[in-house]
Formats: sequence, C-alpha cells, structure tokens
Amino acid sequence: MAALPVPLPSAKMAAVEKRRQAVAQATSFTDSGRPGVPRTAATAESEEDFLRQVGVTEMLRAALLKVLEARPEEPIAFLAHYFENMGLRSPANGGAGEPPGQLLLQQQRLGRALWHLRLAHHSQRTAFNNNVGVAYECLSASGRKKKPGLDGRTYSELLKRICRDGEAPEEVVAPLLRKIQCRDHEAVPLAVFRAGMLTCFVLLEFVARAGALYRLLEDPGLAMADRRLGQAVLDTLEGALQASDDTAPARYLEAGSRLGPDSLALAMDRALVARRPSAPMTREEFLEKAAALFIAKVKPVG
Amino acid sequence: MLSPERLALPDYEYLAQRHVLTYVEDAVCQLLENKEDISQYGIARFFTEYFNSVCQGTHILFREFSFIQATPHNRASFLRAFWRCFRTVGKNGDLLTMREYHCLLQLLCPDFPLELTQKAARIVLMDDAMDCLMSFSDFLFAFQIQFYYSEFLESVAAIYQDLLSGKNPNTVIVPTSSSGQHRHRPSTGEAGTPEGVEASLFYQCLENLCDRHKYSCPPPALVKEVLSNVQRLTFYGFLVALSKHHGINQALGALPDKGDLMHDPAMDEELERL
Repeated sequence: MAALPVPLPSAKMAAVEKRRQAVAQATSFTDSGRPGVPRTAATAESEEDFLRQVGVTEMLRAALLKVLEARPEEPIAFLAHYFENMGLRSPANGGAGEPPGQLLLQQQRLGRALWHLRLAHHSQRTAFNNNVGVAYECLSASGRKKKPGLDGRTYSELLKRICRDGEAPEEVVAPLLRKIQCRDHEAVPLAVFRAGMLTCFVLLEFVARAGALYRLLEDPGLAMADRRLGQAVLDTLEGALQASDDTAPARYLEAGSRLGPDSLALAMDRALVARRPSAPMTREEFLEKAAALFIAKVKPVG
Repeated sequence: MLSPERLALPDYEYLAQRHVLTYVEDAVCQLLENKEDISQYGIARFFTEYFNSVCQGTHILFREFSFIQATPHNRASFLRAFWRCFRTVGKNGDLLTMREYHCLLQLLCPDFPLELTQKAARIVLMDDAMDCLMSFSDFLFAFQIQFYYSEFLESVAAIYQDLLSGKNPNTVIVPTSSSGQHRHRPSTGEAGTPEGVEASLFYQCLENLCDRHKYSCPPPALVKEVLSNVQRLTFYGFLVALSKHHGINQALGALPDKGDLMHDPAMDEELERL
C-alpha cells in the first residue's frame, strides 16, 4: 500500500479532537441537546476504535489515494461521486424486492465504466490504462441474462456516450466511430477496447483545442472565420501531421517548426494575399476538417 | 480543459489548494457526532451526502464560526446562503439596524462574532452611529468584503495607519537629521488639510501585500482600478469602493450583481410550489 503523504489516523484524530472541543466550548448546545462534556482520553480512543471498526480509516485512505492518483480539477466533487459509487456497490443498498431490469443494469454498468474512464487524464498513461482495465471488467461482468465479455453493441454505446459528454458535435466524431466500431454481436477484446478508448479521448481533446484555435481565428463581429485563414491553418496542420508520419525525431522537430507561430503567421499572410475572399468558414466546418485530419491517421478495426 | 500544473504539484500542495483535508477531517468529525444514527453501510452514503453538500454550498448552514471561515469556499457559500435566506428583507424594502442583521446572521451561525458585523456596518455607515438603519443590499455587499477578505482588510488597515503617520512601509529609513519628524495627519479633514492617503502610494503597498500573502485578496488589477479614480482616499472610502465594485463582486462569485439581488427564479419556483 502506497504511503500517504498525510498523517492518518492518529494525528488526524488529534486534530479532530481539538476541533470538537472548540465546538463544544463555542456552542452552549448541540443539535441533539447533549450538554458539552469535557473530552477524556478514553473517549478519543474509543472514537478511534469506532472509526477503524466501521472501516472509515481504510475507506478514507483509499479515497485520498484515488484523489492523488487522478488529480481531478474538483477534488470535492470527485469525492462525492466516489462515495456515491461505493454506496451503489454495497449489498444492503436499495433493498428492493426485485432485482433491477436488464436495461437499468446496463445503464448502471455504462455509468460506472464511464466514471472509471474519467478518473485519469489520458496522458497519465499508467493510471489511464489501469482504469481502462477496470472499466472493461465492469462491462464484461456476466449478469443474469448476460454472457461474460464485452459485445460490440455496448462498446459502440459507450463510445457514443463519451463523445456526447465530451461535447463534440456528432458529425465531427461520426467518421471516427465508423472506423473503430465493432459489429453488434462481435466480442471486443481488451486491446481493441483500450485502443478505442484512448483514441476517443485524444480526439475529444483534439477537437476541443481545434475549437479554441477557431475562436482565435474568428471575427468577433461575424462569429465566423475568414475561409482563407481557416484553410491556411488546416493546411499547415495537415502538412505537419504528414511530416510526423516517419518516427525519426527529426521529423517531429520539422512538424513542430511548421506549427510554430512564425511559419503559421507566414502561411496565413500568404493566404490572405494570394486568394480572394470567399464565403466564411463556420466553426462546424473547421472542426470537421480538423478532426478528419486526425481520424485519417487512425487505423480501422478489423 | 485540464490544467497541467496541478498534475505536477507535490501531493500535499495539491490537496491543500482545495482544502481537501479540511473537508475530510470535518466529514469524520460530523460522522462521529452522528455515529448513533449511522449503520455500517450508511457510511459511504454519509460521505456522499457530506461532499455533495460541500459542492452545493449548503454545508455551512448552522455550523460553528470557526468552520464557516475556514476556507474561501465556505465563506462564499455562507454569503450566498445569507443572501438566499434573507433576500425577502431586501424585497420588502426593510431597513434594519446592525443588531438586527446580526440576529439574522446568528440564525445561520449561532456563534457568529458581533465584532465582524460591527465592522461591516461601519463600512456602510462610515462613522460610529451604530444604530443607524441600513438597506439589505448595502449591508450585504459591505459584509461580503469584510467577511471574505477579513485578513486582507486587517493588513490594509495597518498599512493605512502607517501611511497616515507618515511612515512608508516600502521605503528603507536612512538616518538623517530630519528622519525623526513625523507629521500626524488629522483623521477628519480640515479646510486645506488633505484627508486620507495618496492613492498611488497606497496601491503600491497593497500590491506588495497581495504578492506576499497566501490568503485571499481581491484581484490586484481591480484594486488598481478602484484606486486610479481618485487622488486621495480614506480607509473607509476605500472599503466602500471595494464593496460597490461590480468586478470584485463577480470575481468573488458568491453574490449576483446588485441589480439582480432580488432575482432568484429557482427560489421563486420553489415558493410557488408550496
């Protein structure tokens, strides 16, 4: 078990104790009407025992480790979801007489898999791959009417969900889905699943950055970009991507220099001079073309 | 979009940024206080509810003052709760005294210190007539500045006093024959005597303050804006300007603009359902 950089639990108990004494002194009453009682060492010990017995200590340790691994932007919201998921898994939860229907189970499975996939950014490769593994297991678990393993239909649904939640327009991601989807009743192995997830998340980030790039190009009055500028940027991007086809390091440097501000500015200047103005380029068109450059590099499944 | 910086921070710093440990400790505290009511499997649910309420900003209701002021998020949540709970006071156009506002505050926080309410009232009233009436919006925005930026204002007050007595906190004092003389400026202006301190010098000191300290400061650019409109200003003049500045209110993010103070469609909807 990894060592936590924070003191748990005895030092934390001391901190808890101090605050509780402050509370007892500051308020002349408590919610349940108990008078403030001076804390003794015995009380503190029994509380520590209680916490350990019900598993709180271990629970919090695991939760904090997960937070540190995932480094979410909103750690408090993350913790709320974390405990919510944990609550869903406990045997005593729900207590409904009838087990939930197949559809509900499926939705729950998808939801849980999605949650796991979002825990770490795709650039944190080890953590991301671990989470992909857990998500795969979650989706592959056998149910009452379900055989073990991940089928193409669930896989496609998951891909669509991820893209929808990532706010990428449907037309933009559709070509990717066509390339990497599996047939409905095909079994999807882990390697294919992992590659698909990674591609999907990277594409979403790519589209987001392309969107930000478009915002720089667009005329604030028109909310659209000059076609010549948009096309110049896309052509430069295409050139850079082609340059990096070869994996030699020099090729990456070349690609990087093509995308540098100087070359890009030159390309844009040249475009403005050389071509006549025409119909402006909308954001959707820009994103579609940019995404197409990325998707062209994706190997189709099967 | 994910910011890469937080991925590179050391663990303890990352947790400290969002006061994660404050909330985890408080959650354990709350759990212990309610342990009779919680079954073994209810613990995860308890933590879920706790952290959800932190996200929604309802976690500060009826809590002790030391918790309410513990993090910037707590302070902002408390301000927001106060606004939402008592905005009808403003709607009716009622004017209340400082003591009456303090009673309202104590409804949400039993041990809220009177001193803080007094300081807030002083910003609105600009003098010691503590039993004057104040409008809800005047009090609320002054209270926001006083409560959210408490520590900052304390330091500002000290700097202001230094400047008033002729000491410039920024300069190095070189002993000369004239260095022992300080001119004490009167706190109320007489005809021909300049009141308060010089705005640009004041800003320089505040800029240093914001750089040096970890606790929340209003955005330096906006403070500069406030100070660039005048040549000289008094301490309370400065605080009033801060409390009325839309940009600072927006940057804080707890309360809506003054014009929208009475506008709360979510609450209206709920009230209509009753």
